Amino acid sequence: MTITESSVAPTPHGSHRLTTAKAMVEAIELEMERDPSVFYLGEDVGPYGGIFSSTTGLQERFGPSRVIDTPISESAFIGLAIGAAVEGMRPIAELMFADFMGVCLDQIYNHMAKIHFESGGNVKVPMVLTTAVGGGYSDAAQHSQCLWGTFAHLPGMKVVVPSNPYDAKGLMTSAIRDDNPVVYMFHKGVMGLPWMVRNPRATADVPDGSYTVPIGQAKVVRPGTDATVVTLSLSVHHALDAADTLAAQGVEVEVIDLRSLVPLDRRTILESVSKTGRLVVVDEDYQSFGLSGEVAATVTDVDPGLLRAPIARIANPDVPVPYARLLEHAVLPRQHRIEEGIRRVVYR
Amino acid sequence: MTEVAFPALSKESATAEGVVATWFVADGEAVEGDQLLAEVQVDKVAAEVPAPHAGVVHLLVEEDTAVTQGTPIARID
Amino acid sequence: MTTTAPQGPSVITPPDAATRLELYRTMVLARTFEEAILREYHADKGPGFDIGKGLVPGEMHLAAGQEPVAAGVCAHLTPDDAVTATHRPHHFAIAHGVDLDRMTAEIFGRESGLGHGRGGHMHLFDPAVHFSCSGIIAEGYPPALGQAFAFRHQGTDRVAVAVTGEGAANQGAFHESLNLAALWKLPVVFVIEDNDWGISVPRAASTAVASNAVRGAAYDMPAERIEDNAVEAVYDAAGRAVARARAGEGPTLLEVHTLRLWGHFEGDAQGYRPDLTDVPGHDPIPTYEQTLREADVLDDALVSRVAQEALARVDRAIAFAKQSPLPDPSDATAYVFS
Repeated sequence: MTITESSVAPTPHGSHRLTTAKAMVEAIELEMERDPSVFYLGEDVGPYGGIFSSTTGLQERFGPSRVIDTPISESAFIGLAIGAAVEGMRPIAELMFADFMGVCLDQIYNHMAKIHFESGGNVKVPMVLTTAVGGGYSDAAQHSQCLWGTFAHLPGMKVVVPSNPYDAKGLMTSAIRDDNPVVYMFHKGVMGLPWMVRNPRATADVPDGSYTVPIGQAKVVRPGTDATVVTLSLSVHHALDAADTLAAQGVEVEVIDLRSLVPLDRRTILESVSKTGRLVVVDEDYQSFGLSGEVAATVTDVDPGLLRAPIARIANPDVPVPYARLLEHAVLPRQHRIEEGIRRVVYR
Repeated sequence: MTEVAFPALSKESATAEGVVATWFVADGEAVEGDQLLAEVQVDKVAAEVPAPHAGVVHLLVEEDTAVTQGTPIARID
Repeated sequence: MTTTAPQGPSVITPPDAATRLELYRTMVLARTFEEAILREYHADKGPGFDIGKGLVPGEMHLAAGQEPVAAGVCAHLTPDDAVTATHRPHHFAIAHGVDLDRMTAEIFGRESGLGHGRGGHMHLFDPAVHFSCSGIIAEGYPPALGQAFAFRHQGTDRVAVAVTGEGAANQGAFHESLNLAALWKLPVVFVIEDNDWGISVPRAASTAVASNAVRGAAYDMPAERIEDNAVEAVYDAAGRAVARARAGEGPTLLEVHTLRLWGHFEGDAQGYRPDLTDVPGHDPIPTYEQTLREADVLDDALVSRVAQEALARVDRAIAFAKQSPLPDPSDATAYVFS
């Protein structure tokens, strides 16, 4: 008996199928081959391969002097990465969960992000800070946050948030090659991990060899005419699912995957809203004082007249992420809330 | 023709059940030796399943459905 | 039972005359600079004291009294070694050979400053001599580890000197850094300037141990306390620590009991300091001058010449700063990204 109807189409020549996690690892591997000054450090990144499979197989390949397990000392090892970058290396430091930023935030926002500015451009910090974000699997309030709004708010660090294997690989390559500090935030739900709920959008074709995705460029992942959904990370998947459902009801939604928060591609947002007149922002970070407000202001700063309906913000409410599954999934910006938001702006 | 079995990952039981979490190839696709076919999971342990040799692969089970260790999950002609 | 601080040898062989003269010269230059900045800083803050006013605005932390630590440590360094200093950085910058004109221009907030006026007195960066400083207590330690890591990776015997005050030894980053440096045997020399005061709080009210040198044992790291702010004792201990680091033997912790002659920051009335009238009597520079006179390394003529040369150099730096253009406000958002 064979599976004759497979959900997986044959891979085009010159590419191969990867999960987002494996695509991220492949980018790191290719850059580490190319540039001996690239090294990776963090907790459990060695033999374990990273808690969320960010470094699987890398220590086996490059050895413990280039893929380094650290003590639980985020200030020390993130600071170490800063100093090594200042002296010409290209470190990748992993903050295991973005939620842990509290224990090392000074090194991140007062040092990594400010040294270039304070030195009048004379000192560069070409490092990548990787970190896992996001919820949906009951890891509760201190292990489920996204927090990209906070990182994006603090000047001096670029912020990228891939939603899929192609962008994960291309953005990682760009991040490593960038002479600025880049915070690379990967949602656990997009990684394609075998021990998380199955996500068909977490696996896709990825070109062989090295390529880059430009930092600061959003992507229209689904063209449409009736409403613009601006989103990022795992919410791109849910927005696409919502768009498919609504297409069957005659509503064509344009979905924009931001991919980068700093720099923010405001032009792509404005071009889309000029066309559709209706904006839904989907953001798994906390609603108030963050990304969704920034996307809204991007439009209203230029011309509120572009809008034919109030903006719908579908975000985590200003509440710590609850533990119990029903409670958690009530606060996450999942498909049903996204559909409701789209209907709200379309059927005004 | 070679059968590719679900690897024995469980330390406790030879007949433990797991899932194919992700297929990385399509049914009927030509594969090379050692090419990544699938990622499987039993309890807390995940493993990659490479192609034992080159050929055309046929997929025998679907993603996310229970499979006993040792059961053939693919065939390579 | 209290643990006593490990100390170095009780009798130290003095360095040669040329080195002694150089140590004295460095301290005089650093002091002359601090006196000049003190004068310039206060010249135009009145009436009263408006901290944001004048040619040198903002906070100012001067290191008068702490010169022996900078001179004694930096004498063992080359421009290829790194120094990471604190919010009170001028003496270390001078001792390590930072470009004095551009450093002064930066303190005066000028376009020709080390940071084009973006950083100011607490954020001085001179990549030519691998000098940096930070305004966040203890947070200068972790990047110093990284510089040491890179130096070793690059196959050199260069070292990183990381400086904090005694108050910083109670901050998390301090402890993380000591552990990681010891664990990975990084070529770092940790220097603690114990000037007895964390702003207004005396060490006994902040620190559970009598000396931070005992904390070296917690990280299996050699540590030493120099009690008397004597430049040659610092020179001796630092020489050994730097040599260990260059030889790949790992980090050392040096604590120097030094003296903050003036306030924590300029404008600090120091009402909390009961010994204030006695303080000038403990000034380390006249003490060392006396030592060198007795050793025939210094005489009136040489003392005078060193003082004049320091004054001339500092005057030139101040003049350079004052003549430098102010930054253009329309450029205020530049230099965020490379």
